[in-house]
Amino acid sequence: MTETTIPIINFKEKAEELLPEGASFEACLTCGLCSSGCPASGIENMDPRKFIRMAMLGMDKELSTSKWVWACTQCKRCQHVCPMSIDVSQLVFLARSNWPQEKKPAGIVRSCQLIQSTDSTSAMGLPPEDFVFVVQDVLEEVRELQPEFKNLQAPMDKKGAHFFVNQNSREPMSEPDEMVPLWKIFDIVGADWTYSSRAWAAENFCMFSGNEEAWREVIQKRVDAVNELGCEVWLNTECGHSYYTMWNGINRFGMEADFKLESLVTYYARWIREGKLPVNSDWNRKNIIFTVQDPCMIVRKAYGESIAEDMRFVTKSLVGEENFIDMQPNRSANYCCGGGGGFLQAGMTEHRRTYGKRKFDQIAATGASYVLTPCHNCHSQMEDIGHHYGGNYGVVHFWTLICLSLGILGENERTYLGPDLLECI
Amino acid sequence: MTQKPKEQRIETEVLIIGAGVTGAGIMRDLALRGVQSLLIDRKDLCAGASGGNHGLLHSGSRYISSDLHSAIECREESTILKHVASQCIEETGGLFVAVEGDDPGFAENFAALCQPAGIACDQISCADAKKLEPLLSDRLFKAYRVPDATIDPFRLALLNVAHAQMLNNSSFRPHTEILLFTVKDGKIESATCRDNRTNTTLTIYAKQYINAGGAWAMNIAQLAGCKDVSLLYSKGTLLVSHDRLTTHVINRLRPPGDGDILVPGGTVSVLGTTSIRVDDLETVKPTVAEIDINVREGAAMIPTLAAARYIRAFSGVRPLLQSAGGSDDREATRGFALLDHSTQNLSNFSTITGGKLTTYRLMAEKTCDLVAERLNNSEPCQTHITPLPDEESCKWTEPGASPKYWYKANDPEDMILCECEMVPQSAIDEIVKDAPGAEKEMTLKAIALRSRAGKGPCQGSFCGIRIASYLYDQGHYHDTTGLIHMRDFFNERFKGTRTVTWGLQAAQMELAEALHCGLLGLDNINDD
Amino acid sequence: MIEEDRNFTAELAVIGTGLAGFAASIFALKRDIKTAQIGNTGAVAYTTGYLDLLGSLSPDYPSSIEDPWQGIEQLKDSHPGHPLCRIPKTDIFTAFEQFTSFLGECGITYTPPEKSNIRVLTPAGTLKPTLCVPSTMKVGSTAFSQKEPCVIIDFKGLKGFSSRQVVANLKDKWPKLSSRRVEFPDMASGEIYPEVMARSLEVPATREKLAKILVEAAEDAKIIGLPAILGMHTPDLVREKMEQLTGLQIFEIPTMPPSVPGIRLREMFEQLLPQKGVILIPQQKVDKLVFIEDGAQLSLSDSFGPITIHSKSVILATGRFLSGGLEASIDGVSEPLLNLPVTQPASRRKWYREKYTDYRGHSVNSAGIEVDSSFRPLDSRGQPYSKNLFAAGVILAHQDWIRGRCGAGVAIATAYKAVEEVEKLLT
Repeated sequence: MTETTIPIINFKEKAEELLPEGASFEACLTCGLCSSGCPASGIENMDPRKFIRMAMLGMDKELSTSKWVWACTQCKRCQHVCPMSIDVSQLVFLARSNWPQEKKPAGIVRSCQLIQSTDSTSAMGLPPEDFVFVVQDVLEEVRELQPEFKNLQAPMDKKGAHFFVNQNSREPMSEPDEMVPLWKIFDIVGADWTYSSRAWAAENFCMFSGNEEAWREVIQKRVDAVNELGCEVWLNTECGHSYYTMWNGINRFGMEADFKLESLVTYYARWIREGKLPVNSDWNRKNIIFTVQDPCMIVRKAYGESIAEDMRFVTKSLVGEENFIDMQPNRSANYCCGGGGGFLQAGMTEHRRTYGKRKFDQIAATGASYVLTPCHNCHSQMEDIGHHYGGNYGVVHFWTLICLSLGILGENERTYLGPDLLECI
Repeated sequence: MTQKPKEQRIETEVLIIGAGVTGAGIMRDLALRGVQSLLIDRKDLCAGASGGNHGLLHSGSRYISSDLHSAIECREESTILKHVASQCIEETGGLFVAVEGDDPGFAENFAALCQPAGIACDQISCADAKKLEPLLSDRLFKAYRVPDATIDPFRLALLNVAHAQMLNNSSFRPHTEILLFTVKDGKIESATCRDNRTNTTLTIYAKQYINAGGAWAMNIAQLAGCKDVSLLYSKGTLLVSHDRLTTHVINRLRPPGDGDILVPGGTVSVLGTTSIRVDDLETVKPTVAEIDINVREGAAMIPTLAAARYIRAFSGVRPLLQSAGGSDDREATRGFALLDHSTQNLSNFSTITGGKLTTYRLMAEKTCDLVAERLNNSEPCQTHITPLPDEESCKWTEPGASPKYWYKANDPEDMILCECEMVPQSAIDEIVKDAPGAEKEMTLKAIALRSRAGKGPCQGSFCGIRIASYLYDQGHYHDTTGLIHMRDFFNERFKGTRTVTWGLQAAQMELAEALHCGLLGLDNINDD
Repeated sequence: MIEEDRNFTAELAVIGTGLAGFAASIFALKRDIKTAQIGNTGAVAYTTGYLDLLGSLSPDYPSSIEDPWQGIEQLKDSHPGHPLCRIPKTDIFTAFEQFTSFLGECGITYTPPEKSNIRVLTPAGTLKPTLCVPSTMKVGSTAFSQKEPCVIIDFKGLKGFSSRQVVANLKDKWPKLSSRRVEFPDMASGEIYPEVMARSLEVPATREKLAKILVEAAEDAKIIGLPAILGMHTPDLVREKMEQLTGLQIFEIPTMPPSVPGIRLREMFEQLLPQKGVILIPQQKVDKLVFIEDGAQLSLSDSFGPITIHSKSVILATGRFLSGGLEASIDGVSEPLLNLPVTQPASRRKWYREKYTDYRGHSVNSAGIEVDSSFRPLDSRGQPYSKNLFAAGVILAHQDWIRGRCGAGVAIATAYKAVEEVEKLLT
C-alpha cells in the first residue's frame, strides 16, 4: 500500500494569481492585526500572519500539509481587520482543495459525498422522496393536532411560486417538527412559496472540503431547480453558509440564474415592518436577555451591515429593545463561532473548542440567557461550547421565537426553549 | 577619584586584522594548521565588502571578457566551495541573457570566450530561458546557462570563526580597532587597539600580524609604515527586493555594467550593482541616483523590477589594486594581492587584499602559506579538502531556514520575535550565548547580523522592539542601554531603507516612524 | 443572478476612516449634516489612544513642549503654513472638547483638553507629551509625577511588552517603580494577544481570577500599571470593576501594534456612527470621485457590485502613505483619487535625512496637498478644485504629524474646520 502524499502548492505564486494587486501577500506590513483578531491563532502553532509570511518565505511544504487549514474557518475576519485588505481565506481554500481526498477530515468529505449521492443535495443524504414524505407527514400531523393550522400548506414543486425555499437537512432528518414554525410564518404573511423535491437542501460541505468541482455540481443542481420552477427568489432560510456558497458559487462558476438570492432574515424584518408579522415582546415579562450571533457567511462575507441591522430589528421587535444586548465585537467585526468551514464535522473537537473560547467569552460578557442566530452551524457550535465551558445560555432559532411571540408555537416545537422561556408561553 | 583603567594586554600567535570572509578564512586555515590566532574587527564580521555584495558564487563567466585569470580562479574556487561549504551555498545555476539593444557580437562570442576558462556554458533558446525564468523580458535575443551559484557570506564567516574557535583557542573580538603598531628591529612588536564599545585601549602582542582589512588594507598597512599597498576604491550599490523573483542568477549578457546582475538570496533577490570611484571609505552609502540606475537597467532584463517592492539597499567597496587601469573599475583586475612587506623591512607583517568573495579561500590559503612558513610551521593547507563543519549558533543567517526549524520544533512557548523572517526566541538565545562574537549586552545590530532578524519587509521596525523587550526580560539589559541599542538598530536599518522608500515601503515606513518616534520618542532620547 | 443597484444620498461624504474622517463625521453629526463615510477602517487600529495636539516644535527644539497652545503661537512664526496655525485656537479647543466628550458618551472616557500637555508612559519606559488620554491611562501619569510606589506588571506570552524594560528605563526618575511577571488566567501557554486579554476581561469571571493574581503581585504598592488590556468595549467599566476587586489603582500603558486602544476606537466608531445616523461604508475605497453641478458623485464597489453616493459636499480625509491618501513612487508623491497637486521636495534625494532618528524629521513627511483658507484643496492653478470639496487630516502639506506629535491635533482641528466650512456651503 502506498501512502498518498499531499502535493505541494506554490503559495506565493497562487497568492499573486488569486488576490488583487495591492492586497496580495506581498502587501503585508506584518503588523499582526490579523492574528490578534483571529480565533484560530495559536491552533497548530499557526496564525494568519504566519500563514502569509510562510508563503512569502517559500515554506510551501509546511503550508501544504498544515492541519491548520482545517482549523481556519475561512471567516475572513483577518481581511476585515487588515489595513491592506489581505485575504488569507482564499489560499486556505486552495490548500484544502489540494489535500488528497483520503487525508482530508473524513467527516467533511463524507458530508460532501452524501450531498453528491442524491438529487436532494443533502449533506445527510436524505433522498427527494424521503424529504417529500417527511414534509407531508409532518404537515398532516400539524393539521391534525393544531386545529388552528388545519389548512397549513407546505407546497412542493409548485411552479411559478415567488419563493423557492431551501431547507437545512437537519430538520427533516432529525427534528422534523422544527420545520413547522417556518411554515406557520409563511402562512401568516401569506407568502407564495414552495419547497422543491430536488436540490432543496441548504448545506454545502463540498465547498468546505475544498472540492471545487463538487461545489460547482451542487450549485448547478440548485440553480437548475430554481430556474425550472421559475421562482423569482431563492430564499435562504436559517442556515448561514448556504447563502454564501450559492452566491459565491454562481459568480465563481459564471452560472445563469434568473432569480434573486435573498435571506429569510431580510423578509422577517420586512414582514414585521409591514405589519404582516404582528410580533411583539409582551410575552417577555421576565425580561429575559437575548443577544444575536452574526453568522460570518451572511454578514461579513456577504450582506454586511444591512442584514446585521435587520437581524437586530427583528430581535428587538421580538424580545423588547431593553432585553437585547449586542455581543462585542459584532456585525461585520464579529468573531466566527468556530462552527463554520466544516469544523463541526472535522473531528478536531479540541481545536474547535479552543477556537470557540472567544465566542464563549463574548457571550458570557453579555450575560444574555439566549443567543439568537439564523445559522445551523453557529447554533450547534454555540451549544457545544456553552456546555463545554460551563455556559449558562441557550441558543434559539428566529422562527421559534417569532412563533412564540405570536402564540402559535406548537408543543413539539419547543426543543430549544429553557424553563424560563417555556414559562412565557 | 577615578581608578585608572588597567591596561589590557593580550598575547596571541597571530593577529588577524579585519573580520571579513578572508580574515575569517585565514583564522580557520591557521587553526587547521595548528596555529592559534586572534581575529579583530573595528566593527563586526563582514562589515565591509564581505557583507556588501551580491552573495554571488561566480562561475567565472562574468570575468571572461575582462580578466581571464580571475575567471579561471573563480571556476576553480567555486567548484571547491560547493564541496567544502555546501551549507552556505545554493546551486541556483545562472543565466546570461541579452536583450534588444545589447551588443549582438558580444552575445554571439560568449560561449567561445568561456571555453578557454573551462567554464561550462550552454546556449539555450530564448523560449527555454523564459520557461526557466518567466519574468525575463520578452525582448530577449540570446541566453546561456552557466554554473553560477549563491553563497551566504555571513554564515560562511561565522562558520569559519566558529570552527577555528573549536579547533584551538583562537578567538574573535568585534569592535576592536587598530590604532597603531609598535615597530622595533624590523618587526611589529605590538598592536595598540581600542575597544570601540567600552572606549578602552588594549595592546596585542603577536608573532605574526596579518592585515586582511579589505578596502581598509591600505590604511592599516600605513599604520605599520608600509607604503607598498596601493588601492583604488570602487563603490557598488545594490537593492534587495521584498521577495525572490527568480530561481537562477540572472546576468546581463554584455560587458559588465550597472544593474546587470539579479541574484536570488534565499527568500529575496539582490539587484546590482553600480560602480563609482570613491576616495572616502567612511561615507559610503547608497544614493538615490544609483538606486534609480539599477532599477532602470535591471528592468531591461526583468521588467517587473520596475514595479517591485524593494525593502533595502546597501553599498560595498571593492578594493582594486592600483595597477588597474581602464575607464570602468569593473574591468580592472579582480585578482588579489598578497604582500609580505619584506621591501618595507618588516618580517612579521603581511597584507592580503583585492580579490572577491568567491576566491576568499584561496586568498586565505596563500596568506597562511606565507605566515606558516614564517612561523616554521610546515602543515599544509586543508581548507580545500576539509568540509566546513556546521555549528548550531551559526545557522540563523540562512534565509527561510529559521521558520523551518521553528515549525518543526512545534513549541508554542518558543515565540516568534521577528515575524517577517520568523526568527524565534530560541534563535536569539542561542546567538546571545554561543555565536562567534557573542558578548554581554550584545547589540541588536550584532544579533541581527547573526540571524535574519530585521531582514524582512518591516526591516526590523517591529522585531527591534520585541527583541529588545525580550532581552530586558532575560536580564540581558538593565538600564537604558537596550533603548539606545534599539534606537541604533533602527538607525542602522534606515541606512538601507532611506533610498528605497516608496510604494508599499512608504506605508511601512510611516507606521515604523509613528511607532518609533511618535510613540516611543526614540528621536528624543538622551545618550548620556 | 439578478442584482439591485445601491444608491445613497448625503449632504456630506467623508472619504477616509482615520481619526480625521471619524472626527469629521462626529462634528457633522453635531451639526445635523447628513453624512456618508467611506474608507478602509483598518489603519485606525494603529492609534495609541493618546490624543496629541502638539508635543514637539521640531525642527527648532528636540525636546518635548509643555504648553501646546503656546507652541502653536511659536509654530506660527516658524511654520506659518502648518494646518494648526490656520485655525483659531478656540476652535481647536472646542474641537477637542467635542471629540473627547463624544468618545466619553460612547464609553471611552477621555481627560478633557487642558492648558498644558501631560506626560504619559510608553511601553519602552520613555515619556511622551500628549493632550488628552483615555481615563484608563491617566493614573500612570499622575503616579509618575508624584513618584508613588508602583508595580508594572507584564504577562507571560505577551510579546513586546516587558515590565522590566519599563522599569529599567524609568528607575532613575521613579525609584519606587518595580516589575512583576504573571500569567493571565486560562492563558498560561503560548503566545497571547492584548486584544484577546482585553476581551476576556469583559467577562466578570476572568476579572475575578485576574484580580487575585494582581493583588498578590502588587505586594505593598497601591498602584499598578498594566499593558493596555482593560476591556475592549467598556474599558472604563472594566477598570472600575478591577479596582473594586483589587482595592488598587490601575492604569494602562499602550502596547505596540496590534494594540487594544486603537481597536477600541475602531470598533466603537464602526458600531456607533451608523447607529447615530452616519451611512458608514467601511472596508471600501472610493474608486472614482467626480464633481457635478451641485455636488459630487462617488463610485465604489463591494462584493455585491457597484455603490453610488450622491453628496452635496465632500471632505477628503484619506491620510498619507499608510492609508493610501498619498502615494509615493520612485518618481515622486501623488494624490491618487483626484490627482491633486502635492507639495513635496524637489527630488527623492531630499526625502530623507541621513539619520533616521534625526529630531528634525524628514522632509517627505511634510509633503501634502494645499488648501485655501476654507480648507478647499487647490488645483495646479492654485484655485479651489471644487467649491464642494474640502480636506482634513494629515494629507495636508506643511506638517509632520509624527515628529510634531500633532497627529490627532491636525486630524481633529482640520476636521472641525472643514465641517464648519461644509455647513456654510450647505446653508
